[in-house]
Amino acid sequence: MQPIVLGVIAGSIYALIALGIVLVYKGSRVLNFAQAEVGTLSLYATWWVSTKHHQPWALGALASIVAAVGIGLLFERLVIRRMMTAPRVTVAVATIGLFSLMLAIELALFAGTIYTLPAPIAGGGVQVAGVFVSASQWLALGVVIAVALALAAFLRYTDFGLAVQASADDPVAAQLMGTPRGLISAFTWGVAGALSAVAVLLIEPTVGVLAPGAFSGLFIGGLTAALVGGLSSLPGAFVGGLLVGIAEAEVKAHLVLASVPSVQTTAMLVIVLAVLLLRPQGVLGRRA
Amino acid sequence: MSVAGTRPLPVVPAARSARRSRLSPRTANALTAALLFVALPLMTVHAMPKLLQQHDYLNLDVGVSLAVAALSLNLLLGYAGQISLGHAGLLAAGAFASGIATSRWHLSMVLGFLFAVVISAALALVVGLPALRLRGLYLAIVTVIFGLVMQYSVLRADVFSGGSAGVALPRRLWGDHVSTDNAGYLVAVLLLLLAVWLLDDNVVRTRVGRALRTIRENESVAQSFGIDVVRYKLLAFVLSGALAGLAGAMYGHAIGFVNNESPFNFNLSLQLVIIVIVGGLGHRLAVIIAALFFWVLPSFISGLHAWAYVVGALLLMVTVSQHPDGIADLLTRRRRPPAPAEDEDDELPELPQLPVPVRSHVAAPLSSAVPVLEVEEVVVRFGGLHAVDGATLAVNAGQIVGLIGPNGAGKSTLFNAVSGLVAIERGRIRYRGQEIHQLRSDQRARLGIARSFQQVGLAKDLSVRENFLLAQHQLAAYGDLEALLMLPRAARQEREFRDRTEAAIDALGFGPLADVPVRHLSGGQQRIAEIACLLMTAPDLVMLDEPSAGMAPAAAENLAARLRDLRDVLGRTVLLIEHNVPLVLDTCDHVYVLDAGRLIAAGTPREVAADQRVIDAYFGAAVPA
Repeated sequence: MQPIVLGVIAGSIYALIALGIVLVYKGSRVLNFAQAEVGTLSLYATWWVSTKHHQPWALGALASIVAAVGIGLLFERLVIRRMMTAPRVTVAVATIGLFSLMLAIELALFAGTIYTLPAPIAGGGVQVAGVFVSASQWLALGVVIAVALALAAFLRYTDFGLAVQASADDPVAAQLMGTPRGLISAFTWGVAGALSAVAVLLIEPTVGVLAPGAFSGLFIGGLTAALVGGLSSLPGAFVGGLLVGIAEAEVKAHLVLASVPSVQTTAMLVIVLAVLLLRPQGVLGRRA
Repeated sequence: MSVAGTRPLPVVPAARSARRSRLSPRTANALTAALLFVALPLMTVHAMPKLLQQHDYLNLDVGVSLAVAALSLNLLLGYAGQISLGHAGLLAAGAFASGIATSRWHLSMVLGFLFAVVISAALALVVGLPALRLRGLYLAIVTVIFGLVMQYSVLRADVFSGGSAGVALPRRLWGDHVSTDNAGYLVAVLLLLLAVWLLDDNVVRTRVGRALRTIRENESVAQSFGIDVVRYKLLAFVLSGALAGLAGAMYGHAIGFVNNESPFNFNLSLQLVIIVIVGGLGHRLAVIIAALFFWVLPSFISGLHAWAYVVGALLLMVTVSQHPDGIADLLTRRRRPPAPAEDEDDELPELPQLPVPVRSHVAAPLSSAVPVLEVEEVVVRFGGLHAVDGATLAVNAGQIVGLIGPNGAGKSTLFNAVSGLVAIERGRIRYRGQEIHQLRSDQRARLGIARSFQQVGLAKDLSVRENFLLAQHQLAAYGDLEALLMLPRAARQEREFRDRTEAAIDALGFGPLADVPVRHLSGGQQRIAEIACLLMTAPDLVMLDEPSAGMAPAAAENLAARLRDLRDVLGRTVLLIEHNVPLVLDTCDHVYVLDAGRLIAAGTPREVAADQRVIDAYFGAAVPA
């Protein structure tokens, strides 16, 4: 039971990253390798507001989200928009460039010093099935569910949300129906930035320290989750996140090999290879 | 009329003798490379023995090793268009493999290099196979995780890497002879760089490189030329892995020791991508220069490292966003300026009598009793839409058979079903009596079914000459390993391909345009080049999807004569999709009419043109008053 509780908590964070990857993939058929790094760099905004200037955590969190949305929009405007018709490999390389740039900035500006953030909420936690679940983890769980539901509702019940979905299926038709493709692209990248910032903000108390590339593991979990969900299904990404989180926790709990460190990364590779071999359309997908 | 494969014409002698009289470009290239990479650096170094210290030699050793690493990624990313974000993991595997071989098993460094190549190639095979079976960026996903697994798990596992104690990489020549001379080692790594350069050159000059570049541009077109796409993507990754393993071992023996703090991390993988794209753009020499620039220069000028990485990442983004058509396009545009626009387009050259190749497959003799192609009750469905709904037709040998119908009737889908680009749900497709609907697209192409595409099925980034060479892919009897080593059979066949290509270029009058990327040619020129490509392999069945689309009216008229050439002079069977009704009436022996996925009429062109159902399908049924 313990690994499942821990796995669901970690998995919900992976689900957030996976949602961002899938949203961008649906919106512009781009695999965004910078999905977790956007939030990581933005987290220094939280540090600047909440630790350096002693403002409340929530204000710092808001700063981080604003920064991440800004990075997403800026990248979309300056790079993605120019590459609408480019081969998808080339666009993927551009997101690798964004990832490298942000990591390089983190290394150049923040390496070597320890940065810490205040706890999101004070107060203790609760025992669930023999696991101590802290207040931050409860917050994480609640926020993830709220964000996922809000995103689903927005995409299903608003005209713009439907246009985003239509654009994913057929960009040309959607454009003919009067939804500007540029706006949809900007929307997906902005939301993906926000999702990235929220995910990193929520996982930070568990990691406890802010360092260059500290959350790259988050990207691996999110990417695996997105792939388990079939890369273009939002519900699939959410389920994939939980599955990957639970699988990882089970591996950690039962497969401790002293001679092989970080077995859970290897588990991710095994999951990815297995999905590609057996079910490339994802857990919820139908065979095309 | 004689049949394909029975009429070997002499290879045009002029082209061959002209080629023989001077140094072959390959030899010239090898000599240049040897001069550039081995003789020149060594002369420079030895002319000024006081200038360089041992640690400077060490920096050069490392720089050359990483140049090989960059070349290995270039082969994958620059040629095949597949990204690996885990190349550091493959380098690491090579370094540790060679370390274990030389320090624990006391083998010679030469065997260590070999072991490194084998281990990294095997890893690439295991990681690449699941990812490359599918279309898309799955290799990038798998390799990014593979690289991290190597970095965090494998390299830290005591059993492989000795943990933080690491593995030593002595430069063991034989037995107990271990060299520590960095200048001597420079000779060794430069020779290895030269070897990799020549291997890379062989890739580019044979069907392997042409297949990879076509796959990068358009996998469907590659398949229609008979290229097994999965196999070649995998070959590219395994070859790239093997060279990465070599590079890792070269690096390890330069430093002499690797452990889990070694530079085989994700940043190294990223830097290699940056070097290949920003510095190299798929161009071999530029990749080497970029690798040396990024590594050797910062090691001589300290303080450059931290911000060099920021600049590199920025340059990567700027490079790709400024050249959205892709890296390859930038390269072709830089090397070959577009030809002046050709307005005089109406005169299509006669289709040449190309020297008929010796086919790799043995075609059964055609009898007029068995149709070349039989399509029986074929159903193709996209979701709920029946694109082809139980169509049945037969194409007899030596005929031009038309397939007409309004837009959306399912004509191109039927073509795709016959050539294997879409799967059929029900029904049978037989080619010369043999059921083919279970075969892959490239396998059907190799049986002798050639097809054109509505949007011209050529590799448009490649030149006419390269497309003509590409079209002969399935004729090559040499294996891919023979190609990599340029063994005599591969070299001889490549010469034959070139001669046949030159003959076709001359016959079609493409001389001045031969080196222009196909996308810069006019519509008519592209179409003729495409048909000529189809004829390169002497296929029995030629399927043309709207050949007159995008042609000037005069050229379209001219096309009718060319289609009759196909049948009467070259003895081919033709299945033709066409909207140009006069062209169909003018050329076809038999016509099938498709509407909404079903066959609604068949017969001679005259019968079909008078058929009320056909008129209704095109113009809408008359509403009874």
